Amino acid sequence: MSQASGLRVIAGLFAAGLLLYPVVLTDPFYRDVGVTFLLAAISASAWNIVGGYAGQVSVGHSMFFGLGAYAPLLFYNLWGWPPIAGVPLGIAASVALALMIGLPTFRLTGHYFSMATLAVAELIRISAGTWGLVGAAIGLQGPATGRTWWDLTFRSELPYYYLFLGVLAVLLATTAVIERRRFGFYLRAIKASERAARNLGVPARRTKLQALALSAAFTSAAGSLYVVKTGFIDPDSGFGILVSVQMVIVAALGGAGTLLGPLVGALILVPLQTATNTWFGGGGSGLTYILYGGIIVSIARFEPGGLSELWARLSPRLRKRAHAA
Amino acid sequence: MLLEATNLSKAFGNFLAVAGADLSVDDGEIVGLIGPNGAGKSTFFNCLAGEAMPTGGRIVFAGEDLTRAPPEAHARAGIGRTYQVPTTFEDMSVLDNVMVGAFLRHPHLEDARDHARRIIEMTGLRAEQPARALGTPGRKRLEIARALATEPRLLLLDESLAGLTPGELRDAIALVRRIHEMGITIVIVEHIMEVIMTLTKRVCVFNQGHVIASGPPEAVVKQEAVIEAYLGRRHRPQERNG
Amino acid sequence: MVAVQVIVGGLLLGAIYALFSSGLTLIWGMMNFINFAHGEFVMLGMYVALLTVTWLGGGPAAFAVAAAAALFALGVGLYSSLIRHVIRGPMLAQILSTFGLALLLRYTAFFIFSANFVSLPPTALAGTIKVGGIYLPVAQLVAGATALLLTIALHVLLTRTAVGSKLLAVAEDRAAAMLMGIRPDRMQALAWGLSAGAAGIAGALMATAYPWSPSVGETFGLIAFVVVALGGFGSVLGSLYAGLIVGLIQAASAFWLGAIYKDIVVYGLFVALLWLRPQGLMGRT
Repeated sequence: MSQASGLRVIAGLFAAGLLLYPVVLTDPFYRDVGVTFLLAAISASAWNIVGGYAGQVSVGHSMFFGLGAYAPLLFYNLWGWPPIAGVPLGIAASVALALMIGLPTFRLTGHYFSMATLAVAELIRISAGTWGLVGAAIGLQGPATGRTWWDLTFRSELPYYYLFLGVLAVLLATTAVIERRRFGFYLRAIKASERAARNLGVPARRTKLQALALSAAFTSAAGSLYVVKTGFIDPDSGFGILVSVQMVIVAALGGAGTLLGPLVGALILVPLQTATNTWFGGGGSGLTYILYGGIIVSIARFEPGGLSELWARLSPRLRKRAHAA
Repeated sequence: MLLEATNLSKAFGNFLAVAGADLSVDDGEIVGLIGPNGAGKSTFFNCLAGEAMPTGGRIVFAGEDLTRAPPEAHARAGIGRTYQVPTTFEDMSVLDNVMVGAFLRHPHLEDARDHARRIIEMTGLRAEQPARALGTPGRKRLEIARALATEPRLLLLDESLAGLTPGELRDAIALVRRIHEMGITIVIVEHIMEVIMTLTKRVCVFNQGHVIASGPPEAVVKQEAVIEAYLGRRHRPQERNG
Repeated sequence: MVAVQVIVGGLLLGAIYALFSSGLTLIWGMMNFINFAHGEFVMLGMYVALLTVTWLGGGPAAFAVAAAAALFALGVGLYSSLIRHVIRGPMLAQILSTFGLALLLRYTAFFIFSANFVSLPPTALAGTIKVGGIYLPVAQLVAGATALLLTIALHVLLTRTAVGSKLLAVAEDRAAAMLMGIRPDRMQALAWGLSAGAAGIAGALMATAYPWSPSVGETFGLIAFVVVALGGFGSVLGSLYAGLIVGLIQAASAFWLGAIYKDIVVYGLFVALLWLRPQGLMGRT
């Protein structure tokens, strides 16, 4: 069996596994982990478009997540609309914010951009905490019980799981299409050497803006999904730095700039985080982030391409041994 | 006149890297640019390619004023370039590298791929190889291919033939000739005299930010000012017979 | 009179902002690199001060020196083990290196010291003093004045000493510096040491006058960003002016708008800078 078809079989099995997971494992705990996994995969894959493929490392992506999370609940609290009606607004706001940040900073170095994303995310977080309209520090809540089906307040995890899975599929399909077309080539060229890319006629600034806007839109969708499921948002859970950290580490661990890297990262980190939270109890989250910090530094120092790159480096050697045998 | 750089200057703070440089290149010429290290050649190239914004002077290419234009505009106008230190897209294959250039004139995927494959074949590279697996000569060749894919009218080669074995050098010179025969105007920065003598009909000597001599290679290298530029004032040309 | 008190208090804190921000701007100017853990360096300086006092006794001079030395060593060590390797690599590695480091330092501090706010036990700088009609805590006055002097000293070091010109030479043109016999690696390690040391001393000075917890690193890091953006990347003198301005704006916002707004105004200033003048007051792009 060739390597390519072998990988396709594995991918197919994995997809089947994803589809059947909540049907096979019906315990709410496992289903909840599954939903958390999907959400992490979606957020990280969305970040991946601009951070992984284009190489523009945003460390404030929570600002888009938070906008996508607040918009639905804002619509619900102000006008009684089903939260889902607010999703397009969240996306529009996120895209506008993306352009507002990208336009001035993409002319300057990558470090400036990263710094700007952190500062703006923090500005939005603190501002949300003081603004009464969005619940200030307390935040907003969604409908406790569904008035109609459109409120999407399901008792079981099952519908959420398949909703999230659908969104993930759309996002991955979009990314896969981008990879194969001119836009994807331009992203990778800019990441490799923006200087050389521009001398080949690549419109660097416009391409980066498009990547950031697309990434922001999907991240906003992830935030909306989150709030549809949990029914609650506050400045920290929406705009907090740990939300940004989560996206970055999941994508970077699996392999930033690869299609399935974020999935691999989520597959490892979501169970890990669930386990450490159980083991360490309340103090667990502190230790989790010490671990995360260590993982991120290690990735930066030893394998920026994440596990995907590690595998790419090691697998030829493994294959040679298999052939020799 | 395809390219006219007039009184070009580029200052970095107090330091004047390019100081009133003039260069005119006619369609179809192949012009050499030589000079000691630190003379400002690379900065001059950067200005011509749009990477550095000149602080004085003008650049007119094919009738278009490109002085304040960004690199993308220079590429679209028809200026391609290579780099002294190869800047290939390491994580991409040879084919993908060249396709990035090909997309400029061939926005559709299949057209770009076909065009890229033709260029790759012409330059003797292998399409599926990852760029990081190439040695320095391969990388330099890839850069030339990539720039060629943008269908430039003017190609700026920045020491693309340095560090090659004699055999590789012959192949590279042949490639440059083939490119020239395709009708592409070339300006080549080189230190290797063999390249300058065999390829170029005209040579400009750069020193301290501007052109100090210009003319046929054999004549220029004998000029006193040129020898002084390279060797300094104390060295005088030896008396020659005949 | 209250207004004057607010203004002076803001300037004194601003001087400390100037000191630690000048460390950040030094690295930016030399290496086009932003240290996302710089705020944590300040935070660590504060805890070094605390530990020096509780374990070894000793007054402000002692723990300021201890913080400077400890953080200088940390800066050099980090450069050699981490920064030197990522600086030549992809942007992802560069950003993640210090971003991850910030997380690591912050949550390790949370783990060791807990999230409670702490203060130094009373030092020789306790009490308030009446200066020109207003009351100032002695600690704030001394901390601010010392920070101002140290920032100016750093500027003088960079612009008027042999070591300083070597550092600047490497910043201008690494290759040319090598040709002149300067070792860029050494100079960059020194720069990291100075940068972290400045942050450390700033932290120790701040610890004499203000309570803190491990969470302050995050805020100081962002304040440093704003100061550096306002003052200009690479300009210590710019950091000085900008630090004072930011301290002033913060104090004024807290007083006239409310405490919760002090950070909003400062970060808002940053967003305005992004659009209007990204190169800052005195920097180069």
